[in-house]
Amino acid sequence: MRVSFEWLKDFVSISATPEEVSHSLTMAGLEVEGIDTSVGGDSVFEVNVTPNRPDCLSILGIAREVAAAYRLPLEMPGDDIQGDLPASDIRVEILNPELCHRYTGRLIKGVTISGSPEWLKNRLEKCGIRSLNNNIVDITNYVLLEMGHPLHAFDADKLSGSVIKVSKAGKKRSITTLDGIERELSGDSLLIMDAKKTLALAGVMGGEDSSVTSGTRNIFLESAFFAPVSVRRTSKELGLRTESSYRFERGTDIEFLENALNRAALLIRETGGGIIHEIVDVYPEKFKPATIEVNYARVNALLGVKLEKGEMLKSLERIGIVVEDRGEVFHAFPPAFRRDITGHIDIVEEIARTFGYGNIPARLPKTILSGGVLNHRERGINRIRETVRKTGFNEVINYSFMSPSDLDMISIPVGDIRRRHLSLRNPLKQEDSLMRTTLIPALINNFAYNFSMGARDIRLFEISKIFIAETDRLPTEGLRMGGIFYRENIPSLWKESAQAFFIVKGALQSLFEEMKLGGYTFVPSEEVFLHRGKSADIELKGTKAGFIGELVPDIAESLNLKVRKPEIIVFELNIDTILAFLPERLTYRHVPKYPFIERDIAIIIDDSLTAAWVMDVINSFRSEFIETVEIFDCYKGGNIPAGRKSLAFRIIYRSGERTLTDNEVESVHRELLEYVLEKTGGELRYRT
Amino acid sequence: MDDLFSLKKAFLEEIGSVDDLAGLQLVRTKYSGKKGLIRARLRDLSSIPPDKRPLYGSTLNDIKNFIEETIRNRELIFKTREKEQRLETEKLDITLPGNFTPFGRRHPVNQILSEIKDIFVSMGFSIEDGPEVENDYYNFEALNIPKDHPARDMQDTFYISDDIVLRTHTSPVQVRVMEKRDPPLKIISPGKVYRCDSDVSHTAMFHQVEGLMVDTGISFSDLKGVLELFIHSLFGADTPVRFRPSYFPFTEPSAEIDIGCIFCSGSGCGVCKTTGWIEILGAGLVNPKVFEMVGYNTSEYSGFAFGMGVERITMLRYSIDDIRLLYENDARFLNQF
Repeated sequence: MRVSFEWLKDFVSISATPEEVSHSLTMAGLEVEGIDTSVGGDSVFEVNVTPNRPDCLSILGIAREVAAAYRLPLEMPGDDIQGDLPASDIRVEILNPELCHRYTGRLIKGVTISGSPEWLKNRLEKCGIRSLNNNIVDITNYVLLEMGHPLHAFDADKLSGSVIKVSKAGKKRSITTLDGIERELSGDSLLIMDAKKTLALAGVMGGEDSSVTSGTRNIFLESAFFAPVSVRRTSKELGLRTESSYRFERGTDIEFLENALNRAALLIRETGGGIIHEIVDVYPEKFKPATIEVNYARVNALLGVKLEKGEMLKSLERIGIVVEDRGEVFHAFPPAFRRDITGHIDIVEEIARTFGYGNIPARLPKTILSGGVLNHRERGINRIRETVRKTGFNEVINYSFMSPSDLDMISIPVGDIRRRHLSLRNPLKQEDSLMRTTLIPALINNFAYNFSMGARDIRLFEISKIFIAETDRLPTEGLRMGGIFYRENIPSLWKESAQAFFIVKGALQSLFEEMKLGGYTFVPSEEVFLHRGKSADIELKGTKAGFIGELVPDIAESLNLKVRKPEIIVFELNIDTILAFLPERLTYRHVPKYPFIERDIAIIIDDSLTAAWVMDVINSFRSEFIETVEIFDCYKGGNIPAGRKSLAFRIIYRSGERTLTDNEVESVHRELLEYVLEKTGGELRYRT
Repeated sequence: MDDLFSLKKAFLEEIGSVDDLAGLQLVRTKYSGKKGLIRARLRDLSSIPPDKRPLYGSTLNDIKNFIEETIRNRELIFKTREKEQRLETEKLDITLPGNFTPFGRRHPVNQILSEIKDIFVSMGFSIEDGPEVENDYYNFEALNIPKDHPARDMQDTFYISDDIVLRTHTSPVQVRVMEKRDPPLKIISPGKVYRCDSDVSHTAMFHQVEGLMVDTGISFSDLKGVLELFIHSLFGADTPVRFRPSYFPFTEPSAEIDIGCIFCSGSGCGVCKTTGWIEILGAGLVNPKVFEMVGYNTSEYSGFAFGMGVERITMLRYSIDDIRLLYENDARFLNQF
């Protein structure tokens, strides 16, 4: 809210500078976010008023806080209407007293509608409201800014039956509001009506039909209290927020609304003449202040201070709260403008606020010791993130949203669980209207973006949640790690000959080894967006934990990279699965102390046999002396016949109990060789 | 005896012409090898008359020692020379770059998030996780934000349905933990949160760390102590800190915490809107209404809660002026952290 410093001085004779006052307000909980000094010699504060303090949505409210902070008296403008007044011709009936707790009004006859005086226009405009060249409307706005109470003026001659009824719509109705828009109203909206028609949306906006125009002579000025929830619902329903609804939905001062009415009536008479009539005041249930019991010791304990009784009570009195000392406790009676104060903790806050947060000492809590260790899951995720980044991948973070076209881009089949996505009701834009069920589309976008920026060695990964819709409960949230890899085939200083697929597979293997995850296998994948010949599902002890593979050519082509056959590798791992398979505890194994003997074999076999299968064959040969088997060459072409390939393995022999002799090893090695050749149907290429 | 002297002479001549280790090895074999000339003389010692044998023997021994020592000395010289040659000729252009794959970087937001977690973990807080898609109840109602409350306007909410929202803060995690566990509690809940808002300082998704401490005798003073310690750990021990009143439905008294502007050291600049202060945290004593919702005894327990935006802190730390840079995922940006 914009608060003019010069206007504030009408209420409190302050000698401090605008900067000093701004600081005091900020430290009292009314944050001044900026001071506008561009308005003709005045300083206008931009005050951030929190939703609990509607009493501060006015010059008067801010002045009250300034007066309390500087311990100065509050000076109120005169609102006493002198003399014998004619009785009002207009009756008021409140049909829904639960939604309208008080309704006052004054008829003013013989008013001249004109422009407003300069000083008034000036103040309105400084505070952000445009003068409408209509003194009546301008004055209602002026009093709204000054007193915080929304008023409304009707053209009294446009009222049927000399009656104002405050009532729920009851059925669907429509009204054309002041802004010229015809609006449909639900039966629950609270309306101001006359004998025949709807005059206004209570607390939100007046109707066009009964509005004050340049030809208006007689007006009926309304000042009422509407229940916050009712105004908020109507305003939300219609998407119509006004200065008036903003204040009513936060809560207005039911006692003070009469003063606001009088203040406006006097200003109208001052600028436009006219005869003010007697007040109409329907106030079915009078305001009774709440009684709040507060324990002195509890206040000190909660704040960590040692305030004397008198200090507490005085600070409350200064902000308008009536107090009564009752020994161990005191009773507080908050005024009508502080409806936010309902319980003892609210009083604690007021004491803290007026005492000054800066005056409360800082101390470290006496508390039981706790472990203070990152939990198992958190540590696991950290290690995964650290390991993957050390294989050269940069971490990205994408929004959790996806576009409806994303799943089609990667051809996720109908019926796939990733089609069970959540939709946002109110997305910012259509491309961000679904919650992600896979990280891959966003990573493809990250890749394309970086490619377009000239990057040619792109390694990105992300660890984020995906969301699968469920019926009748919250969605399943799963933690995934996705990645994308692309490297242009350009000459480099140190030749790295591995194919893209194996570079990424190697990164994942580094991860699995680092995490001590045994028993992982790469098996053919059925993901339709992956190249059939260059993709794999990753299984951990038989459970699918993710996939890796090259994007199928049509997706790669759709990115328009102008590169022939780009090899873009993506992967996605289910982190929840990986964490579930992490070993609970490691146990030390003896380090062998006897020497090893190394033997190689190379065999020529059918090309359709996989390395993993041959490895399994070798591992199925039982010998206590085989320590490790490692594949070190895979070769096709040259003198190897078409349809066949050469695989070479290095076998380390070692005994845990003694030094093996060459002869012993030779005999085992020969048996192994025969076994492998027989099982694979291969032929020996060479051996050592 | 003469043959011994001529043996020595011949040796000296030969070794004088030897120029490398290979030649030296030949001389060694010829003279001091198992079938060498020295051994042959030793074997023939019996053919020397007994009276001359001692002198002959000792002379032969001297010559043997002389030959072996000479060979050793030459060997040392040759080896040294050879080593020098290798060191001289096997020369790399050590200015060529090494062969390595640079490590990737953690996203800057996650780096700061880690720092924040580490500080609280070192103070004994444990880390709790919860759903990002939440029931309205946990996100709002249990936090004293009923439907139709104006405080709902403070957070622009994404809705999945009437009762399911994308969490607008990580506070619902605290409610879920309090429902399950009794005090004392010291937890933080880091994670993603969502608000439908987008401009230079807001993104529809961002990260928060919220914390909660509940025990007997917890006061506003404790809140100040813990958060000052946190801020001094994160921004440096000299960082000015101020607490000022604010409003959150789930805490009371509520506070916003500012640090002295790290760009202008408090003298006033564009970042701090000339105030000299930058808001960094929201906090307060837990509103007793929240405790009542989870069934805690409000006369026995009190507590404080706090929350912060990780992006904002990241931007301050690295002087990033547009929050959206954090989500463009441009490698040229990410590589800087």
